[in-house]
Amino acid sequence: MMDASFCVGRPSWMADRRRMKTSSGFQWLLSSFVLLYVVNQVNSQKKGAPHDLTCTTSNLRMWDCSWKAPAGHGALYEVCVVNRFNSCYPSVKTSIKIPALSPGDHEVTINPLRDVRSSISKFVLNEENISFIPDAPEILNLSADFSTSTIHIKWNDKGSLFPHHSNVVWQFKILHKERMDIITLVTHNTTLNGKDTVHHWSWTSDLPLECATHSVRMRCYVDDPHFSGHKEWSNWTPPKNISWSPEPQPKALPLDRVLLVGSDITICCVTREKIVSALVGNKPYPLIHLEGENIAIKIHDISPSDSSGTNVVFVTETTNMCGTVFFAGYPPDIPQNLSCETHDLKEILCTWSPGRVTKLVGPRDTSYTLLESFSGKNATFKRAEDPQNGSYQLFFQIIPSQEIYNFTLHARNPLGQSESTVLLNITERVHPHTPTSFKVKDINSTAVTLSWHLSGNFAKSNLLCQIEINRSNSVQELLNVTVRGAENSSYLVEVGKLNPYTNYTFRIRCAGESFWKWSSWTTGERHLTIEAVPSKGPDTWREWSSDGKNLIIYWKPLPINEANGRILSYNVSYSSEEETQSLSEISDRQHKAELQLDRNDYIISVVAKNSVGSSPPSRIASMELPHDKLKTEQAVGIGNEIFLSWDYDPNMTCDYVIKWCNSSGPGPCLMDWKKVPSNSTEAVIESDQFRPGVRYSFFLYGCKNQGYQLLRSVIGYIEELAPVVAPNFTVEDTSSDSILVKWEDIPVEELRGFLRGYLFYFGKGERGTSKMRGLESGRSDVKIKNITDLNQKTLRIADLQGKTSYHLVLRAYTDGGIGPEKSMYVVTKENSVGLIIAILIPVAVAIMVGVVTSVLCYRKREWIKETFYPDIPNPENCKALQFQKSVCEGNSALKTLEMNPCTPNNVEVLESRSVVPKIEDTEIVSPVTEHPEESSEADAGNPVVVSYCPPIIEEGDEAGGASQVVYIDVQSMYQPQAKPEEEQESEPAGGSGYKPQMHLPVTSAVEEAPADDDLDKTAGYRPQANVNTWNLVSPDSPRSTDSNSELVSFGSPCSINSRQFLIPPKDEDSPKSSGGGWSFTNFFQNKPND
Amino acid sequence: MGHVCTKIMKAARVITEKYYPCLGNDFHTNKHVCEIAHLMKRTQAPLGLLSLLLPPFSAAAPISPAEPIRQAYSLALYMQKNTSTLLQTYLQYQGSPFSDPGFSAPELQLSSLPSAAVSFKTWHALEDGERLSHAQGAFLALTQHLQLVGDDQIDLNPGSPILLAQLGAARLRAQGLLGNMAAIMTALGLPIPPEEDTLGPVPFGASAFERKCRGYIVTREYGHWTDRAVRDLALLKAKYPA
Repeated sequence: MMDASFCVGRPSWMADRRRMKTSSGFQWLLSSFVLLYVVNQVNSQKKGAPHDLTCTTSNLRMWDCSWKAPAGHGALYEVCVVNRFNSCYPSVKTSIKIPALSPGDHEVTINPLRDVRSSISKFVLNEENISFIPDAPEILNLSADFSTSTIHIKWNDKGSLFPHHSNVVWQFKILHKERMDIITLVTHNTTLNGKDTVHHWSWTSDLPLECATHSVRMRCYVDDPHFSGHKEWSNWTPPKNISWSPEPQPKALPLDRVLLVGSDITICCVTREKIVSALVGNKPYPLIHLEGENIAIKIHDISPSDSSGTNVVFVTETTNMCGTVFFAGYPPDIPQNLSCETHDLKEILCTWSPGRVTKLVGPRDTSYTLLESFSGKNATFKRAEDPQNGSYQLFFQIIPSQEIYNFTLHARNPLGQSESTVLLNITERVHPHTPTSFKVKDINSTAVTLSWHLSGNFAKSNLLCQIEINRSNSVQELLNVTVRGAENSSYLVEVGKLNPYTNYTFRIRCAGESFWKWSSWTTGERHLTIEAVPSKGPDTWREWSSDGKNLIIYWKPLPINEANGRILSYNVSYSSEEETQSLSEISDRQHKAELQLDRNDYIISVVAKNSVGSSPPSRIASMELPHDKLKTEQAVGIGNEIFLSWDYDPNMTCDYVIKWCNSSGPGPCLMDWKKVPSNSTEAVIESDQFRPGVRYSFFLYGCKNQGYQLLRSVIGYIEELAPVVAPNFTVEDTSSDSILVKWEDIPVEELRGFLRGYLFYFGKGERGTSKMRGLESGRSDVKIKNITDLNQKTLRIADLQGKTSYHLVLRAYTDGGIGPEKSMYVVTKENSVGLIIAILIPVAVAIMVGVVTSVLCYRKREWIKETFYPDIPNPENCKALQFQKSVCEGNSALKTLEMNPCTPNNVEVLESRSVVPKIEDTEIVSPVTEHPEESSEADAGNPVVVSYCPPIIEEGDEAGGASQVVYIDVQSMYQPQAKPEEEQESEPAGGSGYKPQMHLPVTSAVEEAPADDDLDKTAGYRPQANVNTWNLVSPDSPRSTDSNSELVSFGSPCSINSRQFLIPPKDEDSPKSSGGGWSFTNFFQNKPND
Repeated sequence: MGHVCTKIMKAARVITEKYYPCLGNDFHTNKHVCEIAHLMKRTQAPLGLLSLLLPPFSAAAPISPAEPIRQAYSLALYMQKNTSTLLQTYLQYQGSPFSDPGFSAPELQLSSLPSAAVSFKTWHALEDGERLSHAQGAFLALTQHLQLVGDDQIDLNPGSPILLAQLGAARLRAQGLLGNMAAIMTALGLPIPPEEDTLGPVPFGASAFERKCRGYIVTREYGHWTDRAVRDLALLKAKYPA
């Protein structure tokens, strides 16, 4: 029993213990297999004899046989199996247990012993006619795990009762007690092995067990292969219930369940109150009523939860709430990219990525355990060391003396587990840390020691390290070294074959001996190797000074790879056969020395010195050997170099030297030189200093018997260009048909190439015309002469026309192109005979024509008179037309209907306080109007009003918006039609304002005179004042009616533009006037100024 | 011109509306009010919180209650600003229906946490000492509960540092207020109630749903108690003017 309950607690062990031996199987005897069967009755029955013998078996060992017989007290039967040694069994009842009979027919007799009336009955019994009905099984234990909604059933198979090993089918029926719904019907197969065995079976309910009372029943079916009779199911066991005593508070179940996304779940609420709604998240679900008030909901195809889970809430009638949370997610994915390596052979670092997100967090999150199968050790991933960039990592301590590791990473969460395996030899997975304390130390000028520190237990293996050597301005070099490993040690490596006094950058990285991964590079370490003795003497040359007394020694600074350090000074010494002399030390910045030598032959040696020592001397002979007269050759370079070659000369025992200079440059000819070995016959001279279009001189020296001999002299260009200037030319002589031209040479610097010739163009043309523009386009009238004789300096052009302007152009050209042009216009001299003829002929012709015309006119003079000027009568001579002549001549004013020019009169009249009427120009503001702004606002209410408004007629050209007084008809009185009403009203009030002249006292001009003063003051309109002068000028003005003139011309449709008269001179000067009184016109005029 | 004028008018209106009680007839006083209003806008509260949280136990000698009351009142006012944010943040992380807008479950209560609800008459009739000890008891319970809720949320929402930080901050403030209240009680000569374990045996087996509800109640009650503390302290402040 102890064993059995243990097994219930550990369902996973059930399978292992299924065939557990049970020593005591006797209790199986109590259970019975019941079956009914009717056995064949062999003989015909007599009344009262036993009949209807039926046999069944529950365990195949014993048969239960029963028969029917007439009732009788104290009946005793003897049952005999005939062909079994006549074994007979007495029985007091009408049933008997007999041992199982062997297959085949058996004759059975039942003899009622005490009943004399009855007779013996005979039956034939066969196993085939026997029913095998096992006894109903007995449930030993029924328990429930509410947290997992699992029911555990334990029972004994009573295998000891059965003679044979046989298969058994167990059937379980689980139903809800109240509603008797069959929830599930499950079969479970086992075998009987002749011993009593306790079996376990578990079932997990969809519905939490608390939500409803579950009943469990079971039965069995024994499939004995040796039994040939009829096999049947046993009876069901009586139901056993699993119930739960609910708490008073409503409770939702299951709690905190972790589920697979997409699965289904039933959630119920155990309650005594009525539930009105159920929500999953915020979505209502249909209620399923269970027993009592209990409610369930079924959720299908669950979607992934948030981190805090999916809430399910039940709300009761009394708005009480109960709820639960489930967490839907995924089982852990197989850990991806599991890889392990070690940095230091002390710890193994395994990294992986988790794969698909499980959607489960916190305590439900995936836990990882790394198990090493050889050592059996493990390491557990801790959440704190959270994933960096999506990958997880775990450290595992290295086990000494173990190299092969078989790691299994288990990933586990409530929904499942997965694993990933990696097998590795850790010595092949060494990925060292970046070396530290990387240092460089000098050994000598060409070797250094590199040292670095590497933490890790590399004592048993070697390390492969790579050294990168970077020389400034040079390719990098990689050096692989293998160093003996040690524990947390520093390592030393010697690096040789370096150049002295050179900057190197070293860096290093390491890997395990069996390469897996390089460590990161250390940071580069710059190092300058120490100096060494200069390997060569400087490249020297010598030149005699221009006076031939001094020898100047030139040398070039040593290149860095030959200097092997910083050159501090140079030593120059010269020796003849007799003596050796030295100059004082020369500083490193100076690269020449001047020696005063007699004409002896000297050998001059130059030595460069750095801090370590002196270079081997470079020697040069002072002697200059005489040479033949040399012809200067020409050469043109290709690209940036010039190629020189010469014949091999076995006499030349030492180097050839080519020196060159800019031909046109000042000073001694030495720009640079180049030494060529004595066995070569050519040299390519190259220099950054070469410029195209510049002429250089090259001199080739050969060296023999310790002296130099000039062999060749070459001038050349690295590239020829066109001349920059045109040749200067002049006209020497001009005749009527020829011109003699003379030109000068172009300076070498401006030629920029070897001169190849001149181009001379000439054609008719005058200054300022563009006739010669298309010189090169082959115009037919332009002639070209190509002068290739460079010594020719003059040219005569013949066959020209006299007195004609010619355009002459001269250009020089090199192989680099044609230079600019120089042009000149020359007029050839006149041809005098032709000129005389050209004058005489037209004169003669003109005279001839004149004579002929005169003669003709004279002959035909009568006809001409009739035709062109016949006599005409003269009205002057008519007496009838001589009336009023005196009048016409005497007074020019007396003319009938003379039209006067009609000039419009611009007037703006402002009314003022003054009694005297004022008439003002529109542009002038009344000085009386002291507050223009007020008046503008006051409009008609102000006494100072515009007494005259601009009439409707406007003339655009007049000053903007100027008013005009139009005299429509002088005689019909003045009636300004455009005058506004209010002005008319105000007029009588003030008695001022504009009054047309007709309203003014027309009595006399005398009266006007005293008014002048007033008018001056008030700036009124006063054309009248000038009436005298005006009268003469414009007698048609209305005022002229007052004049003494007798002849008044009425009816003239004329108006006066009295502008100038309307402006009182005083006002013009008045500063106030410019301040601007208000008027319509001012308003318009001032507006643009705003 | 007109644009600037409109702006000034608008600013003036805002100031008048917001700081009406502060404004008087004196121009210079009003100018000062405006300056303060401007400063208040600029100085962010967390800066002020540090000084408010400073332990007020520095002086052993009896001090005037006005200062600790003022400090406590300022802290309570500051806390009041953040309580609804805390509740909203909390609910937002609990999933629907908690996170649904307008979620409220006033019937949920925790036996270990005293409710802030009290009838006005009762509240008004309270002695200073009672008033303070009620609040003190409540905030003591709240600090412990907030710790519990924080732990619960580490399990439920480990990936939500914002929520965890807000819960932590709320607990710290509640502790700060406790300290301030103790100072007031010292100043008033009232006995300081002993710290007791209000939580009792922690129901470790609580289901996730229970934890969520518990957290909701705690954050909700934290707000209610803060509101009540502000009123308590305002009353005290009026009683003990500086």
